[in-house]
Amino acid sequence: MAIPLTLYTLVLLPFVAALLIAAIGGNARVLHSGIAAAGSAMGLALIVSAAGRVIGGEEFAVAIAWVPAIGLEFSLMIDPLGLMFAGLILGIGLLVVIFGHFYLAEGEATARFFASLMLFQGAMLGIVLAGNVLLLLIFWELTSLSSFLLIGFWRHKAEARQGARMALAVTGGGGLVLIAGMVLLGIVAGSFDLMTILASADVVQASPLYPVILILILIGCFTKSAQFPFHFWLPHAMAAPTPVSAYLHSATMVKAGVFLLARLWPVLSGTDLYTVIVTSVGLVTMTFGAFVALFRHDLKSILAYSTISQLGLLVMLLGFSIKMAAVAAVLHILNHAAFKAALFMTAGIVDHESGTRDIRRLGGLAKMMPITAIIATTAAAAMAGLPPLGGFISKEMMLYETLEISLFGLPWLVPVVATIAATLSVGYSLRLAWHLFFGSPREPEPYARAHDPGVGMWASPAVLVLLAVLLGLFPMLLAGTLVASVAGAVIGEPLPTLDLSLWHGVNWALGMSMMAVAGGVLLLWRHKDLLLATASLLRPDAKAMFQSLMAGADTLVRKFIVTTHTPSLQRMVFATFSVVVVVVIEGAITGGGILTGPREGLPASPVAIVAWLLLIIATAAVVNDERHRFRVLVYISVIGLIIALAFVQFSAPDLALTQISVEVVTILLLLLALNLLPKAPPLLSSSPRKWRDGAVACLGGLLVGGAAWAMLTREPNDPISSYHLANSYSGGGGTNVVNVTLVDFRAFDTLGEIIVLGIAGLAIFALLDTTSRGSAGARLRTWQQDVPHSPESHPIMFVMSTRILLPLVLSAGIYMFLRGHNQPGGGFIAALVVAIAFLLQYLASGFDWTDARRRIGEHTMIAFGVLVAMVTGLGALIFDANFLATAFDYFTLPLIGEFELATAVLFDVGVFCVVFGAVMLALAQLSHIAQRAARAHQAQLDEEKAEGSR
Amino acid sequence: MTLEFLVASAIGVLVAGGIYMALRGRTFQVVLGLTLFSYAVNLFLFASGRLTVNRPPIWSKTVTEYADPLPQALVLTAIVITFGMTAFAVVLALRSFLETGSDQVDGDIVSSDDQQPDGNGAG
Amino acid sequence: MSLITHLAIAPVVIPALAAPLALLVMRRRRALGIGISLVSAAAMLLAALALLWAASDGTIRTYELGDWPAPFGIVLVVDRLSAIMITLAASLSVIAMLHAVLTRADRKGWHFHPLFQFQMMGLNGAFLTGDLFNLFVFFEVLLIASYGLMLHGQGPARLKAGVQYVIVNIVGSSLFLIALGLLYALTGTLNMADMGLRVAEIGPDDQGLLRVAALLLVTVFALKAALVPLHLWLPRTYAVSTPAVAALFAIMTKVGVYSIIRVVPQVFGDGAGAAAWAPAPYLLPAAIVTAIIGFGGVFVARSLSEQAAYAVIGSTGTLLIAVAGWQQDTLSAALYYLVHSTLAGAALFLVADIVARRRAGFADNASPGPDFAQRQFVALLFLAAAIAATGLPPLSGFIGKLLILESVADVPFWGWSWAAILFSTLIGVIGFARTGSLIFWKETAPSKAGPLEGALPATVSRADMVAPIIAIVLLAALSLGAGGATDYTAEAAAQLLDSAATAHAVLGDR
Repeated sequence: MAIPLTLYTLVLLPFVAALLIAAIGGNARVLHSGIAAAGSAMGLALIVSAAGRVIGGEEFAVAIAWVPAIGLEFSLMIDPLGLMFAGLILGIGLLVVIFGHFYLAEGEATARFFASLMLFQGAMLGIVLAGNVLLLLIFWELTSLSSFLLIGFWRHKAEARQGARMALAVTGGGGLVLIAGMVLLGIVAGSFDLMTILASADVVQASPLYPVILILILIGCFTKSAQFPFHFWLPHAMAAPTPVSAYLHSATMVKAGVFLLARLWPVLSGTDLYTVIVTSVGLVTMTFGAFVALFRHDLKSILAYSTISQLGLLVMLLGFSIKMAAVAAVLHILNHAAFKAALFMTAGIVDHESGTRDIRRLGGLAKMMPITAIIATTAAAAMAGLPPLGGFISKEMMLYETLEISLFGLPWLVPVVATIAATLSVGYSLRLAWHLFFGSPREPEPYARAHDPGVGMWASPAVLVLLAVLLGLFPMLLAGTLVASVAGAVIGEPLPTLDLSLWHGVNWALGMSMMAVAGGVLLLWRHKDLLLATASLLRPDAKAMFQSLMAGADTLVRKFIVTTHTPSLQRMVFATFSVVVVVVIEGAITGGGILTGPREGLPASPVAIVAWLLLIIATAAVVNDERHRFRVLVYISVIGLIIALAFVQFSAPDLALTQISVEVVTILLLLLALNLLPKAPPLLSSSPRKWRDGAVACLGGLLVGGAAWAMLTREPNDPISSYHLANSYSGGGGTNVVNVTLVDFRAFDTLGEIIVLGIAGLAIFALLDTTSRGSAGARLRTWQQDVPHSPESHPIMFVMSTRILLPLVLSAGIYMFLRGHNQPGGGFIAALVVAIAFLLQYLASGFDWTDARRRIGEHTMIAFGVLVAMVTGLGALIFDANFLATAFDYFTLPLIGEFELATAVLFDVGVFCVVFGAVMLALAQLSHIAQRAARAHQAQLDEEKAEGSR
Repeated sequence: MTLEFLVASAIGVLVAGGIYMALRGRTFQVVLGLTLFSYAVNLFLFASGRLTVNRPPIWSKTVTEYADPLPQALVLTAIVITFGMTAFAVVLALRSFLETGSDQVDGDIVSSDDQQPDGNGAG
Repeated sequence: MSLITHLAIAPVVIPALAAPLALLVMRRRRALGIGISLVSAAAMLLAALALLWAASDGTIRTYELGDWPAPFGIVLVVDRLSAIMITLAASLSVIAMLHAVLTRADRKGWHFHPLFQFQMMGLNGAFLTGDLFNLFVFFEVLLIASYGLMLHGQGPARLKAGVQYVIVNIVGSSLFLIALGLLYALTGTLNMADMGLRVAEIGPDDQGLLRVAALLLVTVFALKAALVPLHLWLPRTYAVSTPAVAALFAIMTKVGVYSIIRVVPQVFGDGAGAAAWAPAPYLLPAAIVTAIIGFGGVFVARSLSEQAAYAVIGSTGTLLIAVAGWQQDTLSAALYYLVHSTLAGAALFLVADIVARRRAGFADNASPGPDFAQRQFVALLFLAAAIAATGLPPLSGFIGKLLILESVADVPFWGWSWAAILFSTLIGVIGFARTGSLIFWKETAPSKAGPLEGALPATVSRADMVAPIIAIVLLAALSLGAGGATDYTAEAAAQLLDSAATAHAVLGDR
């Protein structure tokens, strides 16, 4: 198969498999694992098919443009490094799938398990094959997500959920840091294409941002590869099923960090900063992990810490920035993948067959489960780095390279610490094997239960261990060329010579590792005493710390959010006005300019001054008399009236009319509402708050007033309205420019305006229609009428007068409507006038009488009005004019004489209907409730009276 | 004293009163505050056309000087919209009072904390 | 004149006709009413797509209402930006409406469909108009409609939150009018393009007034966009609204953002003297705080809907971090992320709803409950929605955040922006992981009764998953088609920064 196709297939296969598995679902375990295995196998085959040419030095890259704007393209490339990792991912993946098939019981959610597993496999392949760093980041985060799902697979277990969340928080968080680093790297390198970046080491390392980039990227790698101090998530990830631990948390995902270090080796490594940080972090992790592993009792926990230690070793090797160290790293990656996965699987077997993972309860299992024992012991030996196994070779190389490096100017530091770490790792490896399989059984029950599993389960680890052995016996034959080419790919140039063999003659490295072995045996021998000795050592429980940190953050942030976000209207409004005050002051100061403009003012007549005084007094009265609500309404209407007069004074008759009629309706509405609201409730605000509010209020008043003053004292800046004046009659067919503006120039505004009213009506209806139900209904029934009414419910004079008035008012309304286009008036005002007339009917004669005489429902009125307005507007389209374009003409009829017909008038009809409908809907509904309440109350009183009389 | 000053100061006073009332603790007061505020705003918007006396924008062949009609049209629209909004606010205030039995504007202090929280720590 | 020229008005006319028609038939023939509503939504989407296509050639089309020439009449402006917004609104409306109908939420009160249509009319009008006062009018239309929708279904919680939502917005509208008055007094015009030209000629004496007007106007928009500290109204309001409505509201804060990126370059651009880019210095810090507070809320929220509400705030913050750059690439990133975050927010609200509908007594609280119907699949949907909301791959949020990170890298204080974006992402991820694992993983014995009232879970059909699935599919598509999408947003950003071209398109050679 052609390489490009191979690449795409490689990456897509696992995702397809995952989809398939998820789609099948159900309990078909064989199907699920079968698809997963088939997918992995096919992938492996593809890799093998490509291997020859890739190792041969050919590099293949393919790319599809995705988001050029950010330099993200779906580009894949395969070189020896990618090839090796892809091989590991798929090969071990296949073995893990087989193992997992037998490991998981029937009836477990195998679909979810294998789907997630394949998802992870795809993401992992993406990381190692990505040819674009942004694409790499995408896959990187995907591995965090899928590992989250896999760790949490046994979702009923608390430790699974917590472990999953911790892993996500650490690796996901690290991933975000990595994003920052990578994007910076790309920006500095001028491209996000991996090859380009690898080639631009000089640019990057010269950049002032290099330290930042380096540290950000390293944090990403260290979190993923569980380096100290980010290691703590890994042991808790062991709550995952063993196949997952074997796959993600030893063989592949945790190696992603190491992979990235290797991948970016050419561009990042070589500087002192790099060497110091990476080497020391690796060294510390290696030693620390090995030490802890020695004293753990849970098999998987031991393996987890040993993994941490081994990862530390790899990181350290890459940190050296020495070519041969890179070679050692590459070889050890292979070895570790082999023996560690095998060990995890055998641990799983032991757990599975004996029912416990606690090494203190096990022992002497060699008799009961010989096959497992052989496999595990061999793997442990490889981990301990004993000849003739692969582990030995890579460890020798490691120890040899430590002599080349001097950290903090101390040439002995690294070798010594490395030897100690090696000693410790021999110790825990031997202990693992010995305490598990040899000696005498510590507890009868698990011992009795234990037995070798079916071949299906031990086959996978067996294969891996075989690999570990052969890597030791025939290193050159098996891995020589691969390691050479991979190492070449890492360091970015061909390797001089490579000689992998067990025997390098007597040298320091040999001595060091012999010391290590001897020390390890000692550790095993004295393990009990060491346990006692270290028992007193306080071991900080990372999980507890992490959780208390999270809980602490949670309570803190929550307290902050809750206290700041209490749904307090006063706070919201206060915040708004404060911001306004601030920005206005800032604007005025920064903007500069003058307050008072040149325009000379109009002299104020005494009447005007009196009116002004009245208004101010009324406002003060409103503020200071806030408790007596009815009185306050009177003040409010006074203010409204004065404003209406002002409009008259300032030649705005339409406004005056509107203001008055709106005023009346508003007051009516407030009255009706107040009728049902508490009349004189106690005040809430404390006096300091009042002062605070007062201050803001005065500032606001001052600023807005000032703005008004500044505005009024300036000359207008030739407003567009001159056009309206000029075209009102000729173009709009009306002399009342304001009305023509409303129904013609800016009819679109008016359309919106009436729709607002219509919606208000509908919404109010929707609100009030449910009032009689539930708690509101109950409250209404107990409502007290505290305004003394005249004994008879509808005083006869009032009734008669309103009924006589009605036709008059109606005709007045019609008149208002018709003259609107040329004189003050128009649909809106007319509607209000008529509405008021009807409302008076309600108040006077009650609903029964009025409703009987009111045929059309308000809803219909509103709908009809909007439709009329819309259709009028659309009518223009027929005449090839734009929406809302108008036409008018003059006609003469006998008797009436000349008169005008304008489509604008039709539009005004729509306005009339909507406004009338909305106002009626709102107020009628409201007074309905008031009356219902009154009736209920009345009935109650009568009842009580009856009670009393009896 | 000029009319401009009267209008500007009136606007200022109304705004101050409006803001103060809008910051009170009960819905009815707040609505009144908004009413005052909207009076001021309408005047302000109207004032953006400057003040003119005895020149209503009713077109006729003889007149040449008019008050600026556009702000008047805008204010008309604004008045109507404000009316709709106020009406809705009033009814809503009433409705919420009837439902909850309180006409205070500040919701309960502990928001959605009623069910036992399960923090980020455990779980 | 062919019909295509009238296409610009269609997004306003369609709902404005559908609403009254639905109102008329609704009371007698409910099915017909719903039909009208759905057809209208579909028609809006078609019109929007047509406009999107038409605008892609880079010409700015204007539509003079009543044939009155700009700036004297009101004019609609169809450029790439407005086309994007219209399309987004239409897609969202289809999703929200479908969900409302399928979950029968539209039956929980009066006039859902007319109000919904009017809401759409308001949104579309606001996105299309080129006239500042007309923008105010459409703000009012969409607001009053949103009041009605937000209270749909009623109940004490909604009524209490409603009072606050309504009053805060009334205050906002009044401030809008003050700003408008100032601007008309200074420039004598209402047309944005014309205003942009006239602002440049304002003398030194009036600069202070001008800057005040600019800042005031942007403050109003910031209130709509829920920018800290003007965001306090949002969490409660959105969390208690009917989920279908909340999903639609995901675009409401974006109206504020849209207004900012529409008005500031057009009116207060380089030529505007003291008001030039007036909000610039304050936008970035506010945006950063908003992003962190928003996702901080996600981190600690105790229910999915509350989490979704805070996610909306956080995403607006992230979005405005990009806007605050005021460069072509940052604005392009902002537009892409705007579309993404709107859909993601909607998806979250809808998923919260389908969870709540399945756990009767436990609702969408982040507390373990008994097993419920289709848990696996719902969990999957939640995972997708959370991934989108936090901006993890493979959904479009990740690309959006990469866009923002890269584009702001040459803006001052970019370090802060980066830190805020990445940190807020992290706490968001942790927050969603917490609620998700509690709801979908942790399980209690079926016997245990829920903390809230409510009997056994209502028998739920799988139909209620349709809408969220659509939303998530759209997010995936936005991610796959990111190349084309970013090309479009890049050109849109270039267009909206070239205020002179817009002015010429609107006013001709004046």
